[in-house]
Amino acid sequence: MWLTSKIKQVFMVAKPGVVTLRYPFEPRPAPKNFRGQPYWDHHKCIGCGGCAAHCPARTILVRDLCQELRVMVYDGSRCTYCGRCADVCPEDAITMTESFELATGDKEDINETMELFMATCQRCGRCYDHEITNAIDRMSRIGFKYDSIEMRAVVPVSSEQFDMKLYEKTEKIKRPEKAGE
Amino acid sequence: MPGIEEIKNGLKKKFKDAVVAVEEQNPTRLFVDIKSAKVREISNEIIAMGGRYLVSIGYDNISRDKTLGMIHTFGFDRDGIFLSLRTAVPESKPVMDSITPDIPNAGWSEREYMDLLGMKFTGHPKPKRLILADDWPEGVHPLRKDIPWNLMPPAAEDVAYQLDECPEGCSIVPVGPYHPTLHEPAHFAVYVDGETIKGSDYRGFMTHRGIEKLCQTQLTYNEIPFVAERICGICGSVHATSYSQAVELAGGIKISRRAEYIRTIMLEIERIHSHLLWLGVAGHLIGFDTVFMQSWRIREPIMWLGERMTGNRKTYGMIVIGGVRRDITPEIKEDILNVIGKVEEELLTVQKAIQGDSAIHRRTKGVGYVSTADTVLWSLVGPVARARNVDIDVRRDYPYAAYDEMKFDVPVFDSNDVWATVLVRLLETFEAIKIIRQCLDKMPNDGPILTELEAPIPALKHALTAVEAPRGEVVHYVITGEENAPERWRVRAPTYPNLQGVPLMLLGNQLADVPIIIGSIDPCFSCTDRMEIVDLRSGAAKTASQGELEELSRNKR
Repeated sequence: MWLTSKIKQVFMVAKPGVVTLRYPFEPRPAPKNFRGQPYWDHHKCIGCGGCAAHCPARTILVRDLCQELRVMVYDGSRCTYCGRCADVCPEDAITMTESFELATGDKEDINETMELFMATCQRCGRCYDHEITNAIDRMSRIGFKYDSIEMRAVVPVSSEQFDMKLYEKTEKIKRPEKAGE
Repeated sequence: MPGIEEIKNGLKKKFKDAVVAVEEQNPTRLFVDIKSAKVREISNEIIAMGGRYLVSIGYDNISRDKTLGMIHTFGFDRDGIFLSLRTAVPESKPVMDSITPDIPNAGWSEREYMDLLGMKFTGHPKPKRLILADDWPEGVHPLRKDIPWNLMPPAAEDVAYQLDECPEGCSIVPVGPYHPTLHEPAHFAVYVDGETIKGSDYRGFMTHRGIEKLCQTQLTYNEIPFVAERICGICGSVHATSYSQAVELAGGIKISRRAEYIRTIMLEIERIHSHLLWLGVAGHLIGFDTVFMQSWRIREPIMWLGERMTGNRKTYGMIVIGGVRRDITPEIKEDILNVIGKVEEELLTVQKAIQGDSAIHRRTKGVGYVSTADTVLWSLVGPVARARNVDIDVRRDYPYAAYDEMKFDVPVFDSNDVWATVLVRLLETFEAIKIIRQCLDKMPNDGPILTELEAPIPALKHALTAVEAPRGEVVHYVITGEENAPERWRVRAPTYPNLQGVPLMLLGNQLADVPIIIGSIDPCFSCTDRMEIVDLRSGAAKTASQGELEELSRNKR
């Protein structure tokens, strides 16, 4: 029993032989449909912010610097490559490329920033209602329009010891702030 | 065997006033509202009727009626009915009877809500901290709505978890937090007398990330499937499917048949690669690296197939509320058939080569024995239960997606040991291949893969779904909320009940079998880096490296 098993195992191993790939010495292209690094086509983008509203990892931030200028920032260091942005883009301005070798020493290498000139509404003089009752604001709840671009993450504050008084102070711990509050 | 009417009438007749209301969401989902004073008696009655305990869900309802809600859920396997026992206690006095003395598996759920909601359970045998870190301040309950999601209390030193009392004359062998089987931290204190295990205590939840709180407060309905998928690195689609089904059930959304078939295919592909991964890990743990290398070689084409189908080798991102994101084209169909055909052929070779190997038999037969009665008592699930002669499988008992049209066998063994879990997983892999073939064969060619929602999802609807993951049954409970996000989302992964059964499996075994026993439940936590051996009698401590522990396990004869 033992011996026959061992003989079978030898055949099992010998038949496929060496299967290890020579990557990275030989390139191994990703299949088409692969969800790699997203690419923004600024000619097509209309700045609707749909991608920012749907991004589960909140890596796409939108901010209006002034009435006519909208900045969109893609923070590649937090991206989960789900491709949801490419799904929802109404203009097909986002494509998931086949590039996956994204290791870098500088995070800025994988970030992308777009500055878009926005048209002003002829009737009300602005892009849309800035009140919180606005449907777009309700849809996105946080982030989207008000996300602070400089402060992308929660800043942890900690001290040597703790007690209830200290805990009460943690109310003042820095959190991502909403503009205008 | 009781039908839904008998359950309803039985409870009403026996407990009269204590049963406040009964709601029948559909023929397989029953919600019973009860008064909190009778929770223990009613739970026991449900178990006596043939129910199996699943999980408990606690939620903060203070803003509405100043109560903390508690839901115990049960499944009637033979009838395919899920029963949710809903009750509530006032915020000012959040005390209710513990059901743990009779249903040991409820222990963790109740401890969870002691930590997260500040509830108290009278009669709980082990009211220790479970989820929160040891230095988290007392009296701060993070799942309550008044606590912000990103609260970070300052860290503290000199606080440690107090392990259970060690039996007299035994030594403690701490295993972890960086640990023997897989790749996440957990701590087992194993009490040994010589080489024989006399008991153990567990301290885990070291990577508790507060996903539920995060999703309830920060994310919207259709973003959560992507977070859900990352709960588990191996069975991601399972969580995404379960969550999506729960929201669809609560919101009354009907998805197309084709989308259900595609979900089924994704779940089964995941089962194949998960079982192959486990087979490799198990081989490695007992020092049989040929199995490890070969089963991972066979698994790799499945990962590449996933890449071609969905765009990524593991986090598929296929499943969202309303259906799936990518279709299965005729070319992909051909591709799937080729790949699974090859896997089947090669796995058969492996099976033939190892099933007669006496080395494997000696390391797995009779190891990790748990009697069938204990398995039922502790509500163990999945291959762990099926290897111990408990015939449960969510796919067959509570059909979801396209499983109602599938024909497959559920392998069950009665040797109650690790060897039986090996066999169950091997046979299930072949069954999964069978199911994928049936799916591709029967799949309707029309219908949208993603159904548009016609109206917003109504608020405060409850829904419970279960999905058979490779490791066992996954249970998701959703209470819908008002702001395009769930009010409460509870996830119970299969390791949650199974890990509670590990002390039972370890009892009476040898120290060198610890890795394979813990490994046999395919736990969703982690790899040995080092462990410390403390001899109580001499007080001397020595540290064993990962290499030494692995050596110990692999050289055992």
